[in-house]
Amino acid sequence: MSAVAAQAIPQTRRWWTTRRRGHAIALLFVIPALVNFAVFRYLPILAAIRSSLWQYSLLGGYGQFIGLQAYVRMLQDPIFWKSLQVTIAYVVTKVPAQIALSMGLALFLARENRFAAVVRSAIFAPVVSSIVVVSVIWALMYHVQLGLINSIITSVGLPRIAFISNPDLALAAIVIMMVWKEIGFSMIILMAGLKGIPDMFYEAARIDGASGWQQFRGITLPLLRRVLMFVVVTQTIFSFQVFVPVYTMTHGGPLDATKVIVYYIYQNGFLFQDMGYAAAMSTVTLAILLVVSAVQMRLLRSEVEY
Amino acid sequence: MLKRAVLVERVPVPGATSFTRWLQSAMQQTWFYVLGAVVLVIYVTPFLWMILGSLRREVEIFQYTYPLTVRTFVPVEWSLKNFLDVLGISPEGKSFGLNFGRALLNTTLVSAGVVASSLVFNTMAAYFFARLDFPRKGFLFLFVIATLLIPFEAVMVPLYIVVRSLHLQDSYWALILPWYASPFVIFALVQFFGEIPKELDEAAIIDGASHFGVLRHVIVPNAVPGLVTTALLEFQFIWNLFYWPLIAVGSKDLQTIQVAIAQQTTQTQVYWGRIFAGSVLASVPVIVLFLLMQRYYVKGVVMSGLKG
Repeated sequence: MSAVAAQAIPQTRRWWTTRRRGHAIALLFVIPALVNFAVFRYLPILAAIRSSLWQYSLLGGYGQFIGLQAYVRMLQDPIFWKSLQVTIAYVVTKVPAQIALSMGLALFLARENRFAAVVRSAIFAPVVSSIVVVSVIWALMYHVQLGLINSIITSVGLPRIAFISNPDLALAAIVIMMVWKEIGFSMIILMAGLKGIPDMFYEAARIDGASGWQQFRGITLPLLRRVLMFVVVTQTIFSFQVFVPVYTMTHGGPLDATKVIVYYIYQNGFLFQDMGYAAAMSTVTLAILLVVSAVQMRLLRSEVEY
Repeated sequence: MLKRAVLVERVPVPGATSFTRWLQSAMQQTWFYVLGAVVLVIYVTPFLWMILGSLRREVEIFQYTYPLTVRTFVPVEWSLKNFLDVLGISPEGKSFGLNFGRALLNTTLVSAGVVASSLVFNTMAAYFFARLDFPRKGFLFLFVIATLLIPFEAVMVPLYIVVRSLHLQDSYWALILPWYASPFVIFALVQFFGEIPKELDEAAIIDGASHFGVLRHVIVPNAVPGLVTTALLEFQFIWNLFYWPLIAVGSKDLQTIQVAIAQQTTQTQVYWGRIFAGSVLASVPVIVLFLLMQRYYVKGVVMSGLKG
């Protein structure tokens, strides 16, 4: 459009036209942000690839080219596979639980009522609280001898449970805590989606004698599909990168039962001083997550046409 | 619409008398309040336990865990000792080298720095995308938006490699510079700016305003709610950040509050009272801010959810 305008006005042949000057000034507005993204968002990806292909240490910098050695090592590293397995187990339990519960709460609390508003605020409070504070407090609540949860459990006559030191329960304990923390986020988004569904659909369904469940299946779910899909996508990608609760509560233990991939990367980079290997694993994680988002973006786009 | 509502009112429920209908709605109400109260208890208890636990001596916390009574929560003897300890005011806190005051100050400085610089640079960038003329602007926008796809925690180690090669590690710069621009904030602000009528810009330009003048006198005053929303989300994000400050900064003088708290749990003996007190100091500012400006928060979250 602007190109047509430029042709229509017979201008001087000078390269530095008023329009070009305008563009240069405009560019000044966006350059700081673009520099930030180039240096702090895109460059790390290149740095990860580079330091996985060359020998790299924090103190020595880059050394000789080692090719795909780090990746071959990764394929043969049972702990890497274990960490991938733990991460997937975390994601496939946490995300569905969180979305089902936040859907229920969104339906339950979407009403004009003082009490509902208070409950909504309470559910949202952990979302704004730091994950460090939440996981540290929950770690104490889960404590075998002195924790609040065991105090409650024993007060109704049940035996104590070692949540965090039991390899079979540790990951579940983290899932429960994280669902508790993040439900508010998905609930608010789903609630906004619910508000967007016109009342007349429900009214029409009621006239036809549809039950609550039939209304949910026939109206709410299909019309909320796009929002639901979005929540699933973002929560999947977000949950795949869980780190802090593992760092503060379990350090990956017991018996690697909670050693998620980002924690294993941290361990290699900063505790075992093996930056090159950590970078290689970061690259693989990045690739996995980019594929996940590409697939899910595809699904989202097909939703728009629908 | 009105007719329809009346129609619904008149649909007879088979076999329903006014009494059964009353009973039904009363039961629904009760059910709502009971279930709501259960949810409320599940959400409030941990916070209550933390705040009240921070206000009693540690011996007391352990002494009253069993059996579960009011005393499990409510202190017998109220005490500020835990706070004096973590702030390094009491001799015991000093001997442990605790200085959460410094950590809070660091976190405040970094958050303020990021929010201020992000308000400037993101606003400028959003103005560029919303209003200014530039060839292939869509391509640049894609360059910005695509960064949203880069998984955050997964690139922390490579980001550290970059920051280290720039010799920024272990400084305030390391904590501020990577976050002075945000794709999410730019995206949100472009939406907010889009709602401001273009005629306002044009009138200002006719009056001789520069791009910068338009941004300052037309766009910013008309986008205050959007700016507040994004500033709040940004503040909360930086205040709560943990993994990055953990690896980017080694010296204790630059530690943020989140790192200081987490460090308390890695020691051989865990001091519960101090953890409670530190957690209160770290979370009360964000929670109070949230309660005061809840509407903005919710708007921001919904925006990230529905338009993303």
